[in-house]
Amino acid sequence: MINLSPTQIAEELRTFTGRLAQGAKTLGGLGEIETGVSPRDPVYQEDKLTLYRYQPRVAELHPIPLLIVYALVNRPYMMDLQDDRSLIRGLLDAGVDVYLIDWGYADADDQQLTLADYVHRYIGHCVDHLRESRQLAAINLLGVCQGGALSLCFAALYPEKIRNLVTMVTPVDFHTPDNLLTHLIRHIDIDLLVNTLGNVPGQVLNFAFLSLSPFRLAGQKYVDVVDILDDAVALKNFLRMEKWIFDSPDQAGEAFRQFAKDFFQQNKLVKNEVIIGERQVDLRQITMPVLNVYASQDHLVPPAASKALASCCGSGDYSELCFRGGHIGIYVSARAQQEVPSAIASWLLARQEPQKKKRKTAKRRVVRNP
Amino acid sequence: MADPSDASPAGFDAELLLKQARAYLAFGKQIHQFTDRFQDSLEQEADWKTAARRQFEQFKDAITQSSEAPGVNTDLARLSTIMVDAWQQTALTLQLPIPAPTDRNSSAWLAYQQTQRQYFDLLQQAASAALDLMEQRLQEQATAGETINSLRELYNLWVACNEQTYGRMLRSAEYSELSGRLLNALLVCYPRRETA
Repeated sequence: MINLSPTQIAEELRTFTGRLAQGAKTLGGLGEIETGVSPRDPVYQEDKLTLYRYQPRVAELHPIPLLIVYALVNRPYMMDLQDDRSLIRGLLDAGVDVYLIDWGYADADDQQLTLADYVHRYIGHCVDHLRESRQLAAINLLGVCQGGALSLCFAALYPEKIRNLVTMVTPVDFHTPDNLLTHLIRHIDIDLLVNTLGNVPGQVLNFAFLSLSPFRLAGQKYVDVVDILDDAVALKNFLRMEKWIFDSPDQAGEAFRQFAKDFFQQNKLVKNEVIIGERQVDLRQITMPVLNVYASQDHLVPPAASKALASCCGSGDYSELCFRGGHIGIYVSARAQQEVPSAIASWLLARQEPQKKKRKTAKRRVVRNP
Repeated sequence: MADPSDASPAGFDAELLLKQARAYLAFGKQIHQFTDRFQDSLEQEADWKTAARRQFEQFKDAITQSSEAPGVNTDLARLSTIMVDAWQQTALTLQLPIPAPTDRNSSAWLAYQQTQRQYFDLLQQAASAALDLMEQRLQEQATAGETINSLRELYNLWVACNEQTYGRMLRSAEYSELSGRLLNALLVCYPRRETA
Protein backbone atom coordinates (compact mmCIF):
# COMPACT_ATOMS: atom_id res chain seq x y z
CA MET A 1 0.00 0.00 0.00
CA ILE A 2 1.25 3.46 -0.82
CA ASN A 3 1.25 5.55 2.30
CA LEU A 4 2.21 8.83 0.68
CA SER A 5 0.44 12.15 0.81
CA PRO A 6 0.77 14.74 -1.95
CA THR A 7 2.40 17.04 0.59
CA GLN A 8 5.01 14.46 1.52
CA ILE A 9 5.83 13.81 -2.13
CA ALA A 10 6.16 17.51 -2.83
CA GLU A 11 8.55 17.81 0.12
CA GLU A 12 10.67 14.89 -1.12
CA LEU A 13 10.88 16.45 -4.56
CA ARG A 14 11.89 19.79 -3.07
CA THR A 15 14.68 18.12 -1.09
CA PHE A 16 15.86 16.24 -4.18
CA THR A 17 15.95 19.42 -6.26
CA GLY A 18 17.83 21.22 -3.50
CA ARG A 19 20.49 18.52 -3.36
CA LEU A 20 20.84 18.65 -7.11
CA ALA A 21 21.45 22.39 -6.94
CA GLN A 22 24.02 21.89 -4.18
CA GLY A 23 25.65 19.25 -6.38
CA ALA A 24 26.65 21.81 -8.97
CA LYS A 25 28.77 23.55 -6.33
CA THR A 26 30.34 20.33 -5.06
CA LEU A 27 31.16 19.11 -8.57
CA GLY A 28 32.72 22.46 -9.38
CA GLY A 29 35.16 22.11 -6.51
CA LEU A 30 36.31 18.58 -7.13
CA GLY A 31 38.91 19.16 -9.82
CA GLU A 32 40.48 16.25 -11.66
CA ILE A 33 39.48 12.72 -10.70
CA GLU A 34 42.69 10.81 -10.15
CA THR A 35 43.01 7.06 -10.44
CA GLY A 36 45.93 4.72 -10.10
CA VAL A 37 47.37 5.86 -6.80
CA SER A 38 50.41 3.68 -6.13
CA PRO A 39 53.78 4.96 -7.39
CA ARG A 40 55.19 2.88 -10.24
CA ASP A 41 57.94 3.01 -12.81
CA PRO A 42 57.93 1.88 -16.44
CA VAL A 43 60.47 -0.90 -16.96
CA TYR A 44 59.66 -2.11 -20.46
CA GLN A 45 57.75 -0.77 -23.46
CA GLU A 46 56.68 -2.25 -26.75
CA ASP A 47 54.25 -0.64 -29.17
CA LYS A 48 51.44 0.71 -26.95
CA LEU A 49 52.20 -1.67 -24.11
CA THR A 50 53.97 -0.48 -20.96
CA LEU A 51 55.21 -2.82 -18.26
CA TYR A 52 55.23 -1.13 -14.86
CA ARG A 53 56.90 -2.09 -11.63
CA TYR A 54 55.16 -0.81 -8.50
CA GLN A 55 57.43 0.70 -5.89
CA PRO A 56 57.76 -1.69 -2.95
CA ARG A 57 56.22 -0.67 0.36
CA VAL A 58 58.06 -3.13 2.59
CA ALA A 59 61.77 -3.86 3.01
CA GLU A 60 61.60 -7.60 2.54
CA LEU A 61 60.07 -8.62 -0.77
CA HIS A 62 58.97 -12.00 -2.03
CA PRO A 63 61.82 -13.25 -4.21
CA ILE A 64 59.60 -14.13 -7.19
CA PRO A 65 57.94 -11.16 -8.89
CA LEU A 66 54.26 -11.23 -9.76
CA LEU A 67 53.17 -10.10 -13.22
CA ILE A 68 49.55 -8.93 -13.48
CA VAL A 69 47.86 -9.37 -16.86
CA TYR A 70 44.68 -7.33 -16.95
CA ALA A 71 41.81 -7.60 -19.45
CA LEU A 72 41.95 -5.80 -22.78
CA VAL A 73 38.40 -4.49 -22.43
CA ASN A 74 38.91 -2.11 -19.51
CA ARG A 75 41.69 -0.12 -17.96
CA PRO A 76 43.83 -1.75 -15.27
CA TYR A 77 43.67 1.09 -12.74
CA MET A 78 40.66 -0.70 -11.27
CA MET A 79 43.31 -2.73 -9.44
CA ASP A 80 44.67 0.46 -7.85
CA LEU A 81 41.68 2.78 -7.84
CA GLN A 82 42.30 4.83 -4.70
CA ASP A 83 44.23 4.70 -1.44
CA ASP A 84 41.74 2.57 0.44
CA ARG A 85 40.61 0.53 -2.56
CA SER A 86 43.67 -0.99 -4.13
CA LEU A 87 44.40 -4.69 -4.49
CA ILE A 88 47.83 -3.74 -5.75
CA ARG A 89 48.57 -1.80 -2.59
CA GLY A 90 47.38 -4.79 -0.56
CA LEU A 91 49.78 -7.05 -2.45
CA LEU A 92 52.62 -4.55 -1.99
CA ASP A 93 51.92 -4.32 1.74
CA ALA A 94 52.08 -8.11 1.90
CA GLY A 95 55.55 -8.03 0.36
CA VAL A 96 54.71 -9.02 -3.20
CA ASP A 97 56.92 -7.51 -5.92
CA VAL A 98 54.21 -6.36 -8.34
CA TYR A 99 54.49 -5.74 -12.08
CA LEU A 100 51.55 -4.88 -14.33
CA ILE A 101 50.99 -4.80 -18.08
CA ASP A 102 49.17 -1.67 -19.23
CA TRP A 103 47.94 -2.43 -22.74
CA GLY A 104 47.33 1.20 -23.62
CA TYR A 105 44.64 2.17 -26.12
CA ALA A 106 44.43 0.27 -29.40
CA ASP A 107 43.94 2.44 -32.47
CA ALA A 108 43.76 1.99 -36.23
CA ASP A 109 47.40 0.85 -36.33
CA ASP A 110 46.49 -2.13 -34.15
CA GLN A 111 43.63 -3.61 -36.19
CA GLN A 112 45.73 -6.52 -37.35
CA LEU A 113 47.01 -7.50 -33.89
CA THR A 114 46.02 -11.07 -33.17
CA LEU A 115 45.80 -13.09 -29.99
CA ALA A 116 49.17 -14.52 -31.01
CA ASP A 117 50.59 -11.00 -30.73
CA TYR A 118 49.09 -10.54 -27.30
CA VAL A 119 50.05 -13.97 -25.92
CA HIS A 120 53.30 -15.03 -27.60
CA ARG A 121 54.72 -11.59 -28.18
CA TYR A 122 53.44 -9.10 -25.61
CA ILE A 123 52.93 -11.32 -22.56
CA GLY A 124 55.90 -13.43 -23.68
CA HIS A 125 58.22 -10.45 -23.90
CA CYS A 126 57.13 -9.10 -20.52
CA VAL A 127 57.62 -12.50 -18.89
CA ASP A 128 61.03 -12.86 -20.52
CA HIS A 129 62.00 -9.35 -19.49
CA LEU A 130 61.30 -10.22 -15.85
CA ARG A 131 62.97 -13.61 -16.07
CA GLU A 132 66.09 -12.07 -17.55
CA SER A 133 66.26 -8.97 -15.37
CA ARG A 134 65.67 -11.01 -12.22
CA GLN A 135 67.71 -14.00 -13.42
CA LEU A 136 64.87 -16.40 -12.77
CA ALA A 137 63.72 -19.41 -14.74
CA ALA A 138 60.09 -18.69 -13.97
CA ILE A 139 57.94 -15.94 -12.46
CA ASN A 140 54.48 -15.71 -10.91
CA LEU A 141 51.58 -14.72 -13.15
CA LEU A 142 48.20 -13.24 -12.14
CA GLY A 143 45.57 -12.94 -14.87
CA VAL A 144 42.41 -10.92 -14.38
CA CYS A 145 39.12 -11.66 -16.20
CA GLN A 146 39.89 -11.74 -19.93
CA GLY A 147 43.54 -11.29 -18.94
CA GLY A 148 43.13 -14.50 -16.97
CA ALA A 149 42.06 -16.35 -20.11
CA LEU A 150 45.11 -14.97 -21.92
CA SER A 151 47.29 -15.98 -18.95
CA LEU A 152 45.89 -19.51 -19.08
CA CYS A 153 46.86 -19.66 -22.74
CA PHE A 154 50.36 -18.42 -21.97
CA ALA A 155 50.83 -20.75 -19.00
CA ALA A 156 49.67 -23.72 -21.10
CA LEU A 157 52.02 -22.81 -23.94
CA TYR A 158 55.03 -21.91 -21.75
CA PRO A 159 54.60 -23.80 -18.47
CA GLU A 160 58.32 -23.71 -17.81
CA LYS A 161 58.24 -19.92 -17.51
CA ILE A 162 55.52 -19.71 -14.86
CA ARG A 163 56.24 -20.67 -11.27
CA ASN A 164 52.72 -20.10 -9.91
CA LEU A 165 49.53 -19.05 -11.68
CA VAL A 166 46.74 -17.00 -10.12
CA THR A 167 43.53 -16.45 -12.06
CA MET A 168 40.96 -13.88 -10.90
CA VAL A 169 37.34 -13.87 -12.08
CA THR A 170 38.51 -15.70 -15.16
CA PRO A 171 36.16 -17.43 -17.59
CA VAL A 172 37.22 -20.92 -18.64
CA ASP A 173 33.96 -22.56 -19.65
CA PHE A 174 32.13 -19.88 -21.64
CA HIS A 175 29.00 -21.98 -22.13
CA THR A 176 27.67 -22.37 -18.61
CA PRO A 177 23.92 -21.71 -18.70
CA ASP A 178 24.19 -18.50 -16.67
CA ASN A 179 26.74 -16.77 -18.91
CA LEU A 180 24.88 -13.67 -20.07
CA LEU A 181 27.71 -12.26 -22.16
CA THR A 182 27.80 -15.45 -24.23
CA HIS A 183 24.02 -15.23 -24.50
CA LEU A 184 24.33 -11.69 -25.90
CA ILE A 185 27.13 -12.45 -28.33
CA ARG A 186 25.77 -15.76 -29.60
CA HIS A 187 23.95 -14.38 -32.64
CA ILE A 188 26.28 -11.54 -33.52
CA ASP A 189 28.05 -11.95 -36.82
CA ILE A 190 31.57 -11.34 -35.53
CA ASP A 191 33.14 -11.37 -38.98
CA LEU A 192 30.64 -8.75 -40.14
CA LEU A 193 31.37 -6.67 -37.03
CA VAL A 194 35.16 -6.71 -37.45
CA ASN A 195 35.12 -6.46 -41.23
CA THR A 196 32.82 -3.46 -40.98
CA LEU A 197 34.32 -1.50 -38.10
CA GLY A 198 37.94 -2.66 -38.01
CA ASN A 199 38.58 -2.21 -34.32
CA VAL A 200 35.58 -2.79 -32.09
CA PRO A 201 34.66 0.47 -30.33
CA GLY A 202 34.61 0.51 -26.55
CA GLN A 203 31.09 1.98 -26.71
CA VAL A 204 29.77 -1.28 -28.17
CA LEU A 205 31.18 -3.21 -25.23
CA ASN A 206 29.83 -0.61 -22.81
CA PHE A 207 26.37 -1.06 -24.31
CA ALA A 208 26.66 -4.81 -23.78
CA PHE A 209 27.66 -4.41 -20.12
CA LEU A 210 24.95 -1.80 -19.51
CA SER A 211 22.32 -3.98 -21.11
CA LEU A 212 22.77 -6.57 -18.36
CA SER A 213 21.12 -4.32 -15.78
CA PRO A 214 20.08 -1.02 -17.37
CA PHE A 215 17.57 0.24 -14.83
CA ARG A 216 20.13 0.06 -12.05
CA LEU A 217 23.24 0.99 -14.02
CA ALA A 218 21.82 3.80 -16.13
CA GLY A 219 18.91 4.93 -13.97
CA GLN A 220 18.82 4.24 -10.25
CA LYS A 221 22.56 4.81 -9.82
CA TYR A 222 22.24 8.44 -10.90
CA VAL A 223 19.18 9.06 -8.75
CA ASP A 224 21.00 7.62 -5.73
CA VAL A 225 24.09 9.72 -6.32
CA VAL A 226 22.03 12.86 -5.70
CA ASP A 227 22.03 11.79 -2.03
CA ILE A 228 25.80 12.22 -1.84
CA LEU A 229 26.23 15.33 -3.98
CA ASP A 230 27.09 17.31 -0.85
CA ASP A 231 29.79 14.83 0.21
CA ALA A 232 32.98 15.53 -1.73
CA VAL A 233 34.75 12.34 -0.62
CA ALA A 234 31.86 10.02 -1.45
CA LEU A 235 31.28 11.85 -4.71
CA LYS A 236 34.91 11.47 -5.73
CA ASN A 237 34.68 7.74 -5.06
CA PHE A 238 31.61 7.58 -7.28
CA LEU A 239 33.29 9.59 -10.04
CA ARG A 240 36.39 7.38 -10.01
CA MET A 241 34.19 4.41 -10.70
CA GLU A 242 32.31 6.31 -13.41
CA LYS A 243 35.59 7.23 -15.05
CA TRP A 244 36.67 3.60 -15.08
CA ILE A 245 33.34 2.34 -16.42
CA PHE A 246 33.40 4.66 -19.40
CA ASP A 247 37.15 4.41 -20.01
CA SER A 248 36.76 1.50 -22.43
CA PRO A 249 39.53 1.06 -24.98
CA ASP A 250 38.65 0.01 -28.49
CA GLN A 251 39.50 -3.62 -29.19
CA ALA A 252 42.03 -4.60 -31.82
CA GLY A 253 39.87 -6.13 -34.55
CA GLU A 254 41.64 -9.40 -35.27
CA ALA A 255 42.26 -10.26 -31.63
CA PHE A 256 38.61 -9.52 -30.86
CA ARG A 257 37.52 -11.67 -33.79
CA GLN A 258 39.31 -14.72 -32.42
CA PHE A 259 38.40 -14.12 -28.79
CA ALA A 260 34.70 -13.62 -29.56
CA LYS A 261 34.44 -16.57 -31.92
CA ASP A 262 36.77 -19.13 -30.33
CA PHE A 263 36.20 -18.38 -26.68
CA PHE A 264 32.64 -17.04 -26.46
CA GLN A 265 30.84 -18.55 -29.40
CA GLN A 266 32.63 -21.89 -29.78
CA ASN A 267 33.93 -22.40 -26.24
CA LYS A 268 37.21 -23.77 -27.48
CA LEU A 269 39.33 -22.97 -24.41
CA VAL A 270 37.76 -25.56 -22.19
CA LYS A 271 37.87 -28.07 -25.05
CA ASN A 272 41.61 -27.51 -25.60
CA GLU A 273 40.91 -26.42 -29.18
CA VAL A 274 42.19 -22.84 -29.12
CA ILE A 275 45.04 -22.26 -31.54
CA ILE A 276 47.31 -19.29 -30.76
CA GLY A 277 49.81 -18.64 -33.52
CA GLU A 278 49.73 -22.20 -34.82
CA ARG A 279 50.14 -23.70 -31.36
CA GLN A 280 47.32 -25.52 -29.63
CA VAL A 281 46.41 -24.41 -26.11
CA ASP A 282 46.09 -27.52 -23.98
CA LEU A 283 45.08 -26.59 -20.44
CA ARG A 284 46.42 -29.93 -19.23
CA GLN A 285 49.88 -28.44 -19.74
CA ILE A 286 49.21 -26.08 -16.84
CA THR A 287 51.11 -28.13 -14.28
CA MET A 288 52.32 -25.35 -12.00
CA PRO A 289 50.40 -24.51 -8.79
CA VAL A 290 47.15 -22.69 -9.56
CA LEU A 291 45.06 -20.41 -7.36
CA ASN A 292 41.68 -19.72 -8.95
CA VAL A 293 39.93 -16.72 -7.38
CA TYR A 294 36.29 -16.21 -8.30
CA ALA A 295 33.37 -14.14 -7.00
CA SER A 296 30.24 -15.91 -5.82
CA GLN A 297 27.92 -13.17 -7.15
CA ASP A 298 29.75 -12.43 -10.37
CA HIS A 299 27.20 -11.48 -13.06
CA LEU A 300 29.81 -11.23 -15.82
CA VAL A 301 31.90 -14.33 -15.15
CA PRO A 302 29.64 -16.77 -13.30
CA PRO A 303 31.41 -18.92 -10.69
CA ALA A 304 30.77 -22.06 -12.72
CA ALA A 305 32.58 -20.53 -15.69
CA SER A 306 35.68 -20.03 -13.54
CA LYS A 307 35.50 -23.22 -11.50
CA ALA A 308 35.59 -25.29 -14.68
CA LEU A 309 39.37 -24.85 -14.49
CA ALA A 310 39.53 -27.41 -11.67
CA SER A 311 38.69 -30.27 -13.97
CA CYS A 312 40.65 -29.26 -17.04
CA CYS A 313 44.02 -27.94 -15.90
CA GLY A 314 46.91 -30.31 -15.22
CA SER A 315 48.05 -28.86 -11.92
CA GLY A 316 48.59 -31.18 -8.98
CA ASP A 317 48.30 -28.19 -6.65
CA TYR A 318 45.03 -26.46 -7.49
CA SER A 319 43.27 -24.19 -5.00
CA GLU A 320 40.18 -22.04 -5.16
CA LEU A 321 39.36 -18.84 -3.33
CA CYS A 322 35.69 -17.89 -3.31
CA PHE A 323 35.11 -14.20 -2.67
CA ARG A 324 31.62 -13.37 -1.43
CA GLY A 325 30.81 -10.52 -3.79
CA GLY A 326 30.59 -9.50 -7.41
CA HIS A 327 32.83 -8.89 -10.38
CA ILE A 328 33.60 -5.30 -9.35
CA GLY A 329 33.39 -5.80 -5.60
CA ILE A 330 36.32 -8.19 -5.77
CA TYR A 331 38.54 -5.19 -6.61
CA VAL A 332 37.01 -2.33 -4.70
CA SER A 333 34.91 -3.49 -1.77
CA ALA A 334 36.18 -3.06 1.76
CA ARG A 335 36.01 -6.82 2.33
CA ALA A 336 38.05 -7.50 -0.79
CA GLN A 337 40.86 -5.28 0.54
CA GLN A 338 40.95 -7.36 3.71
CA GLU A 339 40.59 -10.81 2.17
CA VAL A 340 41.91 -11.02 -1.38
CA PRO A 341 45.47 -9.61 -1.49
CA SER A 342 46.51 -11.24 1.77
CA ALA A 343 45.16 -14.62 0.60
CA ILE A 344 46.99 -14.35 -2.73
CA ALA A 345 50.22 -13.24 -1.02
CA SER A 346 50.08 -16.08 1.52
CA TRP A 347 49.37 -18.61 -1.20
CA LEU A 348 52.32 -17.31 -3.26
CA LEU A 349 54.64 -17.13 -0.26
CA ALA A 350 53.95 -20.77 0.55
CA ARG A 351 55.02 -21.67 -2.99
CA GLN A 352 58.08 -19.55 -3.57
CA GLU A 353 60.47 -22.47 -3.55
CA PRO A 354 60.85 -24.27 -6.90
CA GLN A 355 58.22 -26.98 -7.16
CA LYS A 356 59.06 -30.56 -7.81
CA LYS A 357 57.29 -31.70 -10.92
CA LYS A 358 53.95 -33.15 -9.98
CA ARG A 359 51.87 -35.40 -12.11
CA LYS A 360 48.16 -35.06 -12.37
CA THR A 361 46.53 -37.97 -10.60
CA ALA A 362 43.02 -39.00 -9.81
CA LYS A 363 43.64 -37.98 -6.19
CA ARG A 364 44.79 -34.49 -7.16
CA ARG A 365 44.51 -32.06 -4.27
CA VAL A 366 41.87 -29.37 -4.68
CA VAL A 367 41.86 -26.87 -1.86
CA ARG A 368 39.02 -24.41 -1.48
CA ASN A 369 39.54 -21.07 0.28
CA PRO A 370 43.11 -21.86 1.42
CA MET B 1 17.05 23.30 -11.87
CA ALA B 2 20.78 23.81 -11.29
CA ASP B 3 22.94 22.38 -14.01
CA PRO B 4 25.81 20.27 -12.61
CA SER B 5 27.10 19.79 -16.16
CA ASP B 6 28.43 23.36 -15.97
CA ALA B 7 30.80 22.31 -13.22
CA SER B 8 31.42 18.61 -13.76
CA PRO B 9 34.96 17.26 -13.47
CA ALA B 10 36.65 16.17 -16.64
CA GLY B 11 35.55 12.74 -17.78
CA PHE B 12 32.17 12.80 -16.09
CA ASP B 13 29.13 13.19 -18.28
CA ALA B 14 26.82 15.08 -15.94
CA GLU B 15 24.09 14.88 -18.56
CA LEU B 16 23.63 11.22 -17.57
CA LEU B 17 22.89 12.33 -14.03
CA LEU B 18 20.65 15.19 -15.12
CA LYS B 19 18.57 13.04 -17.44
CA GLN B 20 17.82 10.55 -14.70
CA ALA B 21 17.25 13.29 -12.13
CA ARG B 22 14.67 14.86 -14.46
CA ALA B 23 13.10 11.46 -15.03
CA TYR B 24 12.89 10.90 -11.28
CA LEU B 25 11.29 14.30 -10.78
CA ALA B 26 8.79 13.52 -13.52
CA PHE B 27 8.08 10.19 -11.81
CA GLY B 28 7.53 12.07 -8.55
CA LYS B 29 5.16 14.55 -10.15
CA GLN B 30 3.21 11.70 -11.70
CA ILE B 31 2.92 9.98 -8.34
CA HIS B 32 1.94 13.29 -6.80
CA GLN B 33 -0.96 13.58 -9.26
CA PHE B 34 -1.81 9.95 -8.70
CA THR B 35 -2.06 10.32 -4.92
CA ASP B 36 -3.96 13.57 -5.29
CA ARG B 37 -6.56 11.97 -7.53
CA PHE B 38 -6.62 8.85 -5.40
CA GLN B 39 -7.65 10.90 -2.36
CA ASP B 40 -10.56 12.33 -4.38
CA SER B 41 -11.65 9.01 -5.81
CA LEU B 42 -11.52 7.35 -2.40
CA GLU B 43 -14.24 9.71 -1.32
CA GLN B 44 -16.42 8.51 -4.21
CA GLU B 45 -15.49 4.79 -4.25
CA ALA B 46 -16.56 2.42 -1.54
CA ASP B 47 -13.96 -0.12 -2.62
CA TRP B 48 -10.41 1.32 -2.32
CA LYS B 49 -9.07 -1.54 -4.46
CA THR B 50 -11.23 -0.48 -7.39
CA ALA B 51 -10.11 3.11 -6.94
CA ALA B 52 -6.47 2.06 -6.74
CA ARG B 53 -6.84 -0.13 -9.80
CA ARG B 54 -8.32 2.71 -11.86
CA GLN B 55 -5.66 5.17 -10.77
CA PHE B 56 -2.86 2.70 -11.39
CA GLU B 57 -4.10 2.07 -14.93
CA GLN B 58 -3.85 5.80 -15.59
CA PHE B 59 -0.38 5.84 -14.07
CA LYS B 60 0.70 2.95 -16.34
CA ASP B 61 -0.63 4.72 -19.41
CA ALA B 62 1.36 7.81 -18.52
CA ILE B 63 4.60 6.05 -17.76
CA THR B 64 4.70 3.65 -20.73
CA GLN B 65 4.18 6.24 -23.42
CA SER B 66 6.57 5.99 -26.30
CA SER B 67 9.10 8.79 -26.21
CA GLU B 68 8.02 9.60 -29.76
CA ALA B 69 4.30 9.80 -29.04
CA PRO B 70 2.78 13.24 -29.66
CA GLY B 71 2.63 15.41 -26.57
CA VAL B 72 4.62 12.93 -24.53
CA ASN B 73 6.34 13.93 -21.31
CA THR B 74 9.85 13.03 -22.48
CA ASP B 75 11.36 13.08 -19.00
CA LEU B 76 8.77 10.61 -17.77
CA ALA B 77 9.07 8.45 -20.87
CA ARG B 78 12.82 8.27 -20.32
CA LEU B 79 12.25 6.12 -17.24
CA SER B 80 11.16 3.22 -19.40
CA THR B 81 13.26 3.89 -22.45
CA ILE B 82 16.72 3.63 -20.95
CA MET B 83 17.71 0.81 -23.29
CA VAL B 84 16.22 2.56 -26.30
CA ASP B 85 18.30 5.64 -25.49
CA ALA B 86 21.40 3.54 -24.85
CA TRP B 87 21.04 1.72 -28.15
CA GLN B 88 20.44 4.91 -30.12
CA GLN B 89 23.43 6.53 -28.42
CA THR B 90 25.62 3.53 -29.27
CA ALA B 91 24.45 3.51 -32.88
CA LEU B 92 25.19 7.23 -33.02
CA THR B 93 28.76 6.79 -31.77
CA LEU B 94 29.31 4.17 -34.47
CA GLN B 95 28.72 6.99 -36.92
CA LEU B 96 26.28 5.13 -39.07
CA PRO B 97 26.10 7.03 -42.33
CA ILE B 98 22.47 8.13 -42.31
CA PRO B 99 21.24 7.54 -45.83
CA ALA B 100 20.04 10.41 -47.94
CA PRO B 101 16.24 10.55 -48.20
CA THR B 102 16.45 8.97 -51.64
CA ASP B 103 18.32 5.95 -50.24
CA ARG B 104 16.04 5.30 -47.31
CA ASN B 105 14.19 2.64 -49.23
CA SER B 106 17.30 0.51 -49.55
CA SER B 107 16.66 -3.02 -48.34
CA ALA B 108 19.44 -2.85 -45.72
CA TRP B 109 18.13 0.37 -44.20
CA LEU B 110 14.54 -0.85 -44.17
CA ALA B 111 15.59 -4.17 -42.61
CA TYR B 112 17.46 -2.30 -39.88
CA GLN B 113 14.48 -0.04 -39.18
CA GLN B 114 12.17 -3.04 -39.00
CA THR B 115 14.50 -4.95 -36.65
CA GLN B 116 14.91 -1.88 -34.46
CA ARG B 117 11.12 -1.59 -34.18
CA GLN B 118 10.90 -5.26 -33.14
CA TYR B 119 13.63 -4.69 -30.57
CA PHE B 120 11.95 -1.63 -29.11
CA ASP B 121 8.63 -3.48 -29.01
CA LEU B 122 10.23 -6.26 -26.98
CA LEU B 123 11.66 -3.71 -24.55
CA GLN B 124 8.26 -2.05 -24.31
CA GLN B 125 6.62 -5.37 -23.43
CA ALA B 126 9.07 -5.86 -20.58
CA ALA B 127 8.45 -2.30 -19.32
CA SER B 128 4.71 -2.84 -19.41
CA ALA B 129 5.04 -6.19 -17.62
CA ALA B 130 7.10 -4.40 -14.95
CA LEU B 131 4.16 -2.15 -14.12
CA ASP B 132 1.84 -5.14 -13.84
CA LEU B 133 4.36 -6.71 -11.51
CA MET B 134 4.61 -3.49 -9.51
CA GLU B 135 0.86 -3.39 -9.08
CA GLN B 136 0.91 -7.01 -7.96
CA ARG B 137 3.68 -6.30 -5.46
CA LEU B 138 1.80 -3.31 -4.05
CA GLN B 139 -1.31 -5.44 -3.60
CA GLU B 140 0.72 -8.14 -1.88
CA GLN B 141 2.27 -5.57 0.41
CA ALA B 142 -1.14 -4.11 1.20
CA THR B 143 -2.45 -7.57 2.04
CA ALA B 144 0.53 -8.13 4.32
CA GLY B 145 -0.04 -4.77 5.98
CA GLU B 146 3.21 -3.32 4.63
CA THR B 147 3.39 0.20 3.31
CA ILE B 148 5.51 2.30 0.98
CA ASN B 149 6.48 5.33 3.01
CA SER B 150 8.54 7.44 0.63
CA LEU B 151 8.71 8.36 -3.01
CA ARG B 152 12.21 6.88 -3.26
CA GLU B 153 10.95 3.58 -1.88
CA LEU B 154 8.29 3.52 -4.58
CA TYR B 155 10.86 4.38 -7.25
CA ASN B 156 13.14 1.61 -6.00
CA LEU B 157 10.25 -0.84 -6.25
CA TRP B 158 9.64 0.33 -9.82
CA VAL B 159 13.34 -0.24 -10.62
CA ALA B 160 13.31 -3.70 -9.03
CA CYS B 161 10.21 -4.71 -11.01
CA ASN B 162 11.76 -3.47 -14.25
CA GLU B 163 14.99 -5.32 -13.58
CA GLN B 164 13.01 -8.47 -12.94
CA THR B 165 10.88 -8.40 -16.08
CA TYR B 166 13.73 -7.04 -18.20
CA GLY B 167 16.07 -9.70 -16.82
CA ARG B 168 13.59 -12.42 -17.74
CA MET B 169 13.39 -11.02 -21.27
CA LEU B 170 17.18 -10.64 -21.47
CA ARG B 171 17.67 -14.32 -20.70
CA SER B 172 15.23 -15.43 -23.37
CA ALA B 173 16.33 -17.00 -26.63
CA GLU B 174 14.20 -14.38 -28.39
CA TYR B 175 16.25 -11.49 -26.96
CA SER B 176 19.55 -13.17 -27.77
CA GLU B 177 18.48 -13.68 -31.36
CA LEU B 178 16.87 -10.27 -31.80
CA SER B 179 19.67 -8.20 -30.20
CA GLY B 180 22.22 -10.03 -32.35
CA ARG B 181 20.10 -9.46 -35.45
CA LEU B 182 19.77 -5.77 -34.56
CA LEU B 183 23.53 -5.20 -34.49
CA ASN B 184 24.00 -7.28 -37.64
CA ALA B 185 21.30 -5.30 -39.43
CA LEU B 186 22.94 -2.02 -38.42
CA LEU B 187 26.34 -3.22 -39.64
CA VAL B 188 24.95 -4.21 -43.02
CA CYS B 189 24.09 -0.54 -43.58
CA TYR B 190 27.79 0.39 -43.47
CA PRO B 191 30.13 0.27 -46.42
CA ARG B 192 32.42 -2.81 -46.28
CA ARG B 193 36.09 -2.66 -45.35
CA GLU B 194 38.84 -4.84 -46.66
CA THR B 195 38.70 -8.22 -44.92
CA ALA B 196 41.72 -9.53 -43.10
